[in-house]
Amino acid sequence: MDISAALPDGGRTAARTRTGTAAQAGAWTVFLGTVITTAGLSWDIQWHTEVGPDTFFTLSHLALYSGSALSGIASLVMVLLATAAQRAGRPMPRTTGGTPVRVFGGVFTAPLGYLVSGIGAASFLLYGLLDLVWHSIYGFDAVLNTPSHVALFLSITVTMIGSIIVFAAARDERWGHWGVVGSIPILITFAPIPANALKNLPLPIDPTIIGIIFFSPLLLVIGATLLRRPGSAIAIAVVLGVLQAFLWWFSPWAAETYAAAVGLPLRDGLTAQPPDLPGAMPMFLIVAAVLVEVLLHRTRRRGLDARRVVLLAGAVTGLVVAIGLPLQQILTDPTSEISGTEFALVAILGLPLGVLAGFLGGRFTTMLDALTPTSKEAR
Amino acid sequence: MTSRTRRLVVTALAVLTLTFAGVAPAMAYAPVDIVHTEHVQAGPYSVTVGFSVWPIRAMQSLDFTFLPGGGIAGKSGTLLVDGPGVKSDEHTRPLVRHPRKLDSWGLDVKSFDTAGVYRFGFAIDGPQGHGEGNLGDITILDQPGPPLALSWTVGSLPFAGLIVFLVVAWRRVRPGRLPLAV
Repeated sequence: MDISAALPDGGRTAARTRTGTAAQAGAWTVFLGTVITTAGLSWDIQWHTEVGPDTFFTLSHLALYSGSALSGIASLVMVLLATAAQRAGRPMPRTTGGTPVRVFGGVFTAPLGYLVSGIGAASFLLYGLLDLVWHSIYGFDAVLNTPSHVALFLSITVTMIGSIIVFAAARDERWGHWGVVGSIPILITFAPIPANALKNLPLPIDPTIIGIIFFSPLLLVIGATLLRRPGSAIAIAVVLGVLQAFLWWFSPWAAETYAAAVGLPLRDGLTAQPPDLPGAMPMFLIVAAVLVEVLLHRTRRRGLDARRVVLLAGAVTGLVVAIGLPLQQILTDPTSEISGTEFALVAILGLPLGVLAGFLGGRFTTMLDALTPTSKEAR
Repeated sequence: MTSRTRRLVVTALAVLTLTFAGVAPAMAYAPVDIVHTEHVQAGPYSVTVGFSVWPIRAMQSLDFTFLPGGGIAGKSGTLLVDGPGVKSDEHTRPLVRHPRKLDSWGLDVKSFDTAGVYRFGFAIDGPQGHGEGNLGDITILDQPGPPLALSWTVGSLPFAGLIVFLVVAWRRVRPGRLPLAV
């Protein structure tokens, strides 16, 4: 896999092509699976809102499941390739999926990222069976917060974490850098969804909102500090914006087109509302990203303590996202009714959740640095 | 690949594609199967309330249909739902067509999470004026299936696994002792 030795200069060309095509294909296929799953889920939620009835075999379900299957198959192939390479005495570079981990007493050699993404996909498959059992007992209830649904969402989240680890291991190469920039927004979109489980508890705020306010700063801090290049935070926010715009257009379009294709009308009494999943994505993350860039720029120039700066970056992002969520709801949903108390509660939560996210974000970056040393650091 | 193999593969792919193209839309929704009905008099309107499952159990989703005598054309109204676990913003809603049984009003894949006695109220306006009525003794039994605590324990295992992974990685790396560069 490592072809840099064959190149005479080992310069920019080598840096760009150091990791082989198979490694890049594996990483991007896992990523593609997570994108398909995210689009499938957004479509499915929109279908339930606008059209209604479904079975296990709706196209949106097929998209959701095939995305996870794609990520799982790619992870499995990469683990088998790594195992074969290890046995042949030419182990893969750590830029291919991260630190190799011995599995089943050394029967398999699994790059850490693919091990995590693969376990997520395998878990998804198992919980798909539990979901079938659940639906055979309770019917198709069209709510997100059932044990089987939450387990499925958690499994996908694990696959997405694996995808980030895979790209993090190649972050000093261009494809790895852009992979981190792409995979962080996917997890920002998805990570708050399992928080739906907490809707069964009597909380004063929708737990998904708490999830958005926590995971956005956590992942923005991880992405920006992991990549260590000016503009990374802004690039992540821009990709999130593009993803949001795409899902904003795609989800209602797909739900309505599919309904027309199967001869179902839209529900009666629908009001003009923003599409469900993209409507909940943080629209003002770009503001936070600019502020984080300024903070990191000052940190680099003045040699400030990065551990303290990530706390501040998390707090700033948490506040911006927390204040932005009710704002974007008012801007995009004419029927929304947000009381002053709710607004204040959400905004106040932004600070502690953001600080916690900044703290954990800094620690997780350090862990990613240690667990997935890139080729330069490993030397 | 020989031409015979290629032909076989192409045929298999074509059959699969056609099967999925035909089956997927057809299986996208199931018909509404009403197994029990009750009758309510809402002023001048006689309403037939249909249930796709009977008796009803908590958390079990089903289809409810509400069909006034003479059909829903030219009529409008409000549905009032009352019972344990019904949230304050879910008490009233306009009567709208059931998405898979368009000649009736209805609720599709709707479940009530708490066992107890529920009430469906109807306020209907139509050619014969305004009418109101109640179906007040719909008993919803305890949830079927394993206890919820067990289901949630099984459903939380990926979360537990993720936490264990993070704890193991944290203990191995000790990120607090390492420098962080940005």
